[in-house]
Amino acid sequence: MEKTVASRLFIALPEQISFLIKSGIFLMVCGATLFIALASSYPAVHDTLHNVRHALAVVPCH
Amino acid sequence: MSLKFFSLSLQLVVLFLFGPLLRAEEISIYFKTAPIAELLRPNGDAASLSLLITGADGRPVNEGTVAIRLDAPKAGGFLSTDVPVVEGTQLSEMRLPLRQGRVNWKYLFPIRGRYNLAVDFTGADGTKSSKSFQFTVRENRHKWIALGGFSLGLFLVGFIAGRIFTGARAKAAAFVLAVAFFVAATATGLKAQDTASEGSAARLDIEPAFVGKPSRIHWSLDGAGAKPVLALTLTITQLEENKVVFAVERIPVAGDFSMGFQFTDGSEHRVTALAEAQGRVPIKTEQVINVTAVEPPMRVMIPALSFFMVLIALGIVAGRWSKRR
Repeated sequence: MEKTVASRLFIALPEQISFLIKSGIFLMVCGATLFIALASSYPAVHDTLHNVRHALAVVPCH
Repeated sequence: MSLKFFSLSLQLVVLFLFGPLLRAEEISIYFKTAPIAELLRPNGDAASLSLLITGADGRPVNEGTVAIRLDAPKAGGFLSTDVPVVEGTQLSEMRLPLRQGRVNWKYLFPIRGRYNLAVDFTGADGTKSSKSFQFTVRENRHKWIALGGFSLGLFLVGFIAGRIFTGARAKAAAFVLAVAFFVAATATGLKAQDTASEGSAARLDIEPAFVGKPSRIHWSLDGAGAKPVLALTLTITQLEENKVVFAVERIPVAGDFSMGFQFTDGSEHRVTALAEAQGRVPIKTEQVINVTAVEPPMRVMIPALSFFMVLIALGIVAGRWSKRR
């Protein structure tokens, strides 16, 4: 399906470039998720994951 | 004759200058923990700490005071502890009187690392002696296991993503993202809110408490005039997990006692002081304080987050490699 859409929009990319773009987007999503879960001070997230942060030994909390 | 006189004078000068030091060397200071230092773990149970002061004859020194200062491990290494605000700060500072040559207290170590305990003994006759003790508190094993499991999970997420991206099947991307969210999401602030002290005969004054900074705790008997010597028991309890974080039992105090103590957990704590004396009604003073938590700076967050990101990236590379070989 991806290939079909790409070819119809004339944006077909080499496999290596496609892999890098997808990996980059995936890493950014993972980074944002990890930051919100482990580093943000937003009370609702912090209070829910407080014990998890401490349980991981290397994640700074208070 | 003049040479003899000079030699005698020199000996007197040496004795005058170094006499107190020589006398101080006669004092021996021993430090002991229970359980032993190798078995101490942060945030487990409060450890019993004791100091023994002996004289030149090896017998415990009966009278004197000991000034004790405990410093937290310094920051070191790439990854911080789970409470970086405490690293390298002063944890407690107090002066306790000797009882049969000993002082005993209980303390809950907050983080892993190498602690420094500085002891300054002052005898009733003015004898002084100092010694520092260093000991290491190791991290809880279950925390390392949890970190290993979490790291492995992140690597696997990256691995699966790497395989999928290599195969160029976009419909699987939603599955990978769902796995990433699932792994990332699994699994309790504050103003002073003092309760009235029980008993009107004593008072407990506690400075506003912030994690990372010692607060002064001052217990004193009310009223003017001669203050009797009482046996004071001071206990600090972390209320969220109902853990005793500091305790000192039946220390002889003449009307007041003061110490510096750092609350290392940003939650409610109860400070209880019980003063007892023969033929007197025990005086109990209690105060509940809310400790203000301090958010760690962003710079200490970056290493841990970078570490996790590298694991995912390695997983992606490994996944691609496994698909293409």
